[in-house]
Amino acid sequence: MTRIKLNVDGVRYDDDVEPRTLLVQHLRDRIGKVGTVVGCDTSNCGACTVLLDGVSVKSCSVLAVQADGKAVTTIEGLAEPGGALHPVQRAFHERHALQCGYCTPGMIMASVSLLADNPDPTDAEIREGLEGNLCRCTGYQNIVRAVHDAAAAMADGGGAAPPQVPAQAAPEQREVAV
Amino acid sequence: MAQRAGGDDSEFTRRAADGGSAPSRREDARLVRGAGCFVADLLPEDCLEVVFVSSPVAHGEMGAVDVDDARRMPGVAAVWSAADLPAVPQTPPMLGITASAGRAWPALAVDRVRYVGQPVAIVLAADRYVAEDARDAVRLDISPLPVLLDPTDAAGSEVELFLGMPNVAVEKEYGDPIDPAVWRDAAVVVEGNYRQQLLAHTSMEARAILIRPEDDDGLTVWCSHQAPHRLRGDLAAALGLPEERIRVVVPDVGGAFGGKSETYPEYLAVAVAARRLGRTVRWVEDRAEALTGPPHGRGQNQRTRMAADADGRILAYELTIDADVGGYPHLGAFVPLNTSVMAAGAYQIPRVHVQTRCVVTNTAPTSPYRGAGRPEAATAIERTVDTLARRLGMDPAKLRQRNFIRPDALPYRTPTGFQYDSGDYPAALALAMRTVDYDGWRAQQAQRRRTGTGAPLGIGICSYLERSGNAWEFGSVEACPDGTYLALSGCCSTGQGHETSFPQVVASVLGVEPELIRLVEADTAIVPRGIGSYSSRSMQTGGAALHRAAGALMEQARGRAAESWAVPIEEVTYRAGTVSAGQRRVSLADLAAATGPLRADEVFEPPQAAPYGTYIAVVEVEPELGTVSVLRLVAVDDYGVVINHVIVRGQSYGSIAQGLGQALYEQVRYDPDGVPETRSLLDYLIPTLSEVPPVTLREMCTPNPNTALGAKGAGEAGCIGAPAAVINAVVDALDLDDPSAIQMPLTPFACWQARQPALAGAGR
Repeated sequence: MTRIKLNVDGVRYDDDVEPRTLLVQHLRDRIGKVGTVVGCDTSNCGACTVLLDGVSVKSCSVLAVQADGKAVTTIEGLAEPGGALHPVQRAFHERHALQCGYCTPGMIMASVSLLADNPDPTDAEIREGLEGNLCRCTGYQNIVRAVHDAAAAMADGGGAAPPQVPAQAAPEQREVAV
Repeated sequence: MAQRAGGDDSEFTRRAADGGSAPSRREDARLVRGAGCFVADLLPEDCLEVVFVSSPVAHGEMGAVDVDDARRMPGVAAVWSAADLPAVPQTPPMLGITASAGRAWPALAVDRVRYVGQPVAIVLAADRYVAEDARDAVRLDISPLPVLLDPTDAAGSEVELFLGMPNVAVEKEYGDPIDPAVWRDAAVVVEGNYRQQLLAHTSMEARAILIRPEDDDGLTVWCSHQAPHRLRGDLAAALGLPEERIRVVVPDVGGAFGGKSETYPEYLAVAVAARRLGRTVRWVEDRAEALTGPPHGRGQNQRTRMAADADGRILAYELTIDADVGGYPHLGAFVPLNTSVMAAGAYQIPRVHVQTRCVVTNTAPTSPYRGAGRPEAATAIERTVDTLARRLGMDPAKLRQRNFIRPDALPYRTPTGFQYDSGDYPAALALAMRTVDYDGWRAQQAQRRRTGTGAPLGIGICSYLERSGNAWEFGSVEACPDGTYLALSGCCSTGQGHETSFPQVVASVLGVEPELIRLVEADTAIVPRGIGSYSSRSMQTGGAALHRAAGALMEQARGRAAESWAVPIEEVTYRAGTVSAGQRRVSLADLAAATGPLRADEVFEPPQAAPYGTYIAVVEVEPELGTVSVLRLVAVDDYGVVINHVIVRGQSYGSIAQGLGQALYEQVRYDPDGVPETRSLLDYLIPTLSEVPPVTLREMCTPNPNTALGAKGAGEAGCIGAPAAVINAVVDALDLDDPSAIQMPLTPFACWQARQPALAGAGR
């Protein structure tokens, strides 16, 4: 067992984990962040995408111990519970860019990351930028539209910027029993 | 309003009333926040995780299963093979298919294994990692037997996959045998051999089930499923429990596509474990298991023969199917029967004859996969029609127009016994041709061929006709005392947005705001009966049942008011949630509060419907590498009355992407020993954002004449129309004389190989 400290969606969690534990399993099974889902285990589908210190990663391909000391933003941290949606979330809803919703957390997080790198992507840049995220329901057409809409909304200041890495200082601390 | 989308708005050639409004989806409120609840998101305390030890051998005689080391590992709660169970439940036969008699599919393998991945032992531990460690410590002793992987080979093999029984599990014939004189005397006869490759459903959420034993010896089951009442009935039958002791709840489902409508051996094993241990138990399938199957989709060897006169009038069509149902005939044995019944497509063909065999093999068992027999039928006849056009030297569009069933000939009964309801098949083709600029592309193709410049260009048409819905569905609407309405449906959304579209249906009848209507489905403790969601049936059948229930509620309210006011019912009128007679007026809410529950239950069974349309693909094939680029894809669909255009169009896009996947990329592959080679999404290629081209959708609307709602089926058309359009375009681009020379998926290598004779012949 190894002791790790994580900041997840603004809350600090200190846990003992087995070295082989994947970040996604740690998030889901230990911390209860089940909004981040598992689609493939082999980093092909991107359903488990989260931001690690602001950069998108597939959390099935990161060990929990590798995330020690870092800040994780999951889909659940993108908007306050019950609060206003992030522009990417809103655009996915308005453009009907989701059906079953299983790929959606990862697709939204990957889109947030893409727009942080490239605030005004072309169609081709969106398609290339998100091709590591698979969706079996939508045929992607409305996802491309949603990302364009989100880019426009964010350029207009219509919503929050991509989430900042939560401050490390004094978040609520929660010890999780092993 | 229908969604604005750059350059491809819908066009409604015949617009039905009330088809246009499209409130945004209620489901999204939780799903975009990561607050959806899939089976694996349920985190009950004290739950055991299940991992299965599965057969690495495709066909073999089982020796002892050594579970001793695995049982001794710390944290392991139980490890059982079939030998450890007092009784091994078997999956019940489905839809009255008798093929499983004597070929029952056990919860854990007994004596023999018949496909790689078949569960042999179940491992339970509090921690999934520990369960997987224990799985790896189980030792199997399996003596390999000869392996059969192709249904035609298996049908003729002396190797018996079930001792003393034929490998052909079902044999059926549709239409009358065609007189040899028809073939002999026809001006033209063409033939084709087509392979419908095995596919993996690849819902982003794989299978998952969680079972909690209850104090009354019953079970509560949470399952990612399409048909909760079917699952309840099957579990009850397999376990010998009364149905009322089992409650099935389907939470959010991460896609299904036909693969979650069955009762699998794993579910039975999980139920047995939960009961034996008295513990909550869950199994969450991983991707490798999901790709290895079961279920697989498709899997047919098809032979076609078509005769026509010199003017291109089709005289006869013959289709012979050897369908792969895998190691155990299950719901997959139903699929080729669907293909058979709708074999003739949208054409008026005087003689149609279909012979179908469902054959057991050593691949994983098959199930319906989006389209479920319909894409197989459409591809067979549409490739054959194109071959006929080439032979006649006739434009394939013109040949189709010559043979379509005319609108005034509808309703029309095919020689295979399926009645088409309504539509305008020639108009769908004409609209698709206009939209894609068919003549323009043909001119460009001619110019490229003439000048020998540019990549080979092809235009492919698929005029499909499908068969949607089946059986009855339950719908109920209740006026609640708080002014809201509760709608219950026996359907089960797996991403289709029922929470949004079904309230729209009820609201349109009651004349109230959709926000006042709440839908509950997918819980057998609340919804008394139901069938589920598959065969494009939700709106066609379930929506129609709710439509009728809402109407019945209005009548019930009028009757109740007439009674309490002591006036004739004719004097009571209903309007927008209230009933009135003269000066008296009461809301349904107050009426229910004053006089007792107001609720109408309906069970409605409309006939199957026949949605149809035409897809046209324009492709280029890169001559050196064989890579196919889809330049344009136009889809014209007539789903009857559409309730929510945003949702239906979304499904069209998704279904088309899956159709492109079958045409170009996807195939479950086995090595010669029957070991699956496509075990991850690195090997099994579903389309990504980069592969799916922009698609243009056009809609027509011919209401379903058999329901007041008027909806036909939607959701599967893209899988049906896209593959044949793409493959016909590629055959056209490559100018192939033998259409059987190329089979799906149209990988670069397949195209390059098929191209070789053409290259040599053209001297290029």
